[in-house]
Amino acid sequence: MNTILVIVIVVNIIIALLFSLGAAPILVWVERRVAGFIQDRLGPNRCNIAGIRLGGLIQSFADMLKLVFKEDFRAGAIKEKFVFMLAPVIVFASAFLSYMVMPFADNLTIGKQTFVMQGLPTNLGILWFLAFAGLSIYGIILGGWASNNKYSLLGSIRAGAQVISYEASMTLAIISVLITYGSVNLVDMVNFQSKLLFGFLPAWGVVMQPLAAIIFIVTAFAEANRTPFDIAEGESEIVGGYHTEYSAMKFGLFFVGEYVAMSASSALIVTLFFGGYNLPWLGTQSLKDNFTLIMEVIIVLLPILSFFFGRWILKNNIWPKADDIRNRESRWLIRALVMINVVVIVVLGYFLYSGIGSNGVNIAVALIQIATFAIKLLLMNFVFVWVRWTLPRFRYDQLQYLGWRILLPLSIANIFITALVVVGV
Amino acid sequence: MIDTIFLILSLFALAGAIGMITLSNTMHSALSFLVTVFAIAGLYALLNASFLFMVQIIIYAGAIIALLLFIVMFLNIKEDKLKEPNRYNIMLVVAIILAPVDYLLFQAFLKMPHIGDFSTTLDNFGDVKMLGNELFKGWLVPFEAISVLLLVALIGSIVLARKKERE
Repeated sequence: MNTILVIVIVVNIIIALLFSLGAAPILVWVERRVAGFIQDRLGPNRCNIAGIRLGGLIQSFADMLKLVFKEDFRAGAIKEKFVFMLAPVIVFASAFLSYMVMPFADNLTIGKQTFVMQGLPTNLGILWFLAFAGLSIYGIILGGWASNNKYSLLGSIRAGAQVISYEASMTLAIISVLITYGSVNLVDMVNFQSKLLFGFLPAWGVVMQPLAAIIFIVTAFAEANRTPFDIAEGESEIVGGYHTEYSAMKFGLFFVGEYVAMSASSALIVTLFFGGYNLPWLGTQSLKDNFTLIMEVIIVLLPILSFFFGRWILKNNIWPKADDIRNRESRWLIRALVMINVVVIVVLGYFLYSGIGSNGVNIAVALIQIATFAIKLLLMNFVFVWVRWTLPRFRYDQLQYLGWRILLPLSIANIFITALVVVGV
Repeated sequence: MIDTIFLILSLFALAGAIGMITLSNTMHSALSFLVTVFAIAGLYALLNASFLFMVQIIIYAGAIIALLLFIVMFLNIKEDKLKEPNRYNIMLVVAIILAPVDYLLFQAFLKMPHIGDFSTTLDNFGDVKMLGNELFKGWLVPFEAISVLLLVALIGSIVLARKKERE
């Protein structure tokens, strides 16, 4: 055990925690604001700390506090108290654990040691995801059963049937991807996608395996119990489904667990089909080779982008009364923006002037890749939210029809074709 | 350290198995079976069989028991319908009858080659690559035979389910 090893492991776990748990309030905010935008209204934007609203992000923290301090009520009819308590924990823990294997940067080399940049470095990444993502169904089934309530039971039966039928297609879609990449290791898969196809197209999974990508994304929606597959909690039919009887932080765990599961699905979609942490046309090696150029580009681009962002803030967040608390927010944000610019430019300028060692380049490339992964993840999560507020809910028989009669045969055909191409070419 | 983990996991596995046959509520016994399945997955992980560990969780915990719980919930079995008189007596009698079988099993266990000596196995022997090479090079015919057997079972269950519908 040496110091660098410990530091890298701790940093990896913290980053994985930030990506899973830390993303939940941001996703709740994205969900509400995008829903507002789609329905031609504003969404939550008034909650503030000393005038700072960050476009409504503070609302998520207020909501979290509300859930913590609410009364934890349990109906007298609930006899299975232990199972009732266990169910939200299972949903949350399985979503959280399935996140731990997502690679957010290429293998990092410091000195002579090489580290795998995952919360849990294992080379069976995709199997780990399948194992723990599949366990979340226990939380839903047990929660609905222990609630001792017809609506809850109906909700969990629906969810069980849905997840069991869509898991088959999901696994089969993954198999055709595995045949293409020839590995179960997620880092290997992402590195495979850093190549170029026909010399100009990034060899992302979505290009190599378009059918598997579509099937996987559809089944990921079903696994995460998101609209159009949210019959497990169809409000108009069965109240809240399996979490009808839950209140306070027990409901909070279901709620956060849903977002963490959605984010984990997005992370896997990004890793399998959208190049993971790779910037398009810029693999790890070319990033390292051209690092000086990249620093110069950042130094030039950052002030320009910040200028336009600051002007956008000043245009949209100026209120007629001078002592309006919201004017203070604009001032704070502009100051923060200037500070970030100054710090980044000074640091990068220093590195440009004094030169940056190979360890420094490796760490900086890892940072760029983490940022890339975060942006791709946010975009994929946005797609999840976008679909939820665009499509209506499936009827139960339509859902089963889609799962068994369309997705399953398509994914089997896809495996067949992929195997033919891989063996033949 | 490893011995302690092994003992704890084995205790959980045994407790789950006993719970599964003694608990009267079907849901509870399915759940205690789940405890056994996880404990055995942990034992696999302890033996460096990481692939088997994942498969145990994906197939048994993720699919089979989830399906079992789903069916139990779907059928809505009433607890008092399952009450059998003298079930503990029956269990005792069966346990005594099966004692010779236990003895044989124990003998077979003692006669196993390399007992207590696993030092020859490599650290990564349970990894995907090693297992796949072994399975598809050394044991290809048995593997395919088992696949066909599973396929037969699959088709058979569909045929049986259809027959009931016609009656």
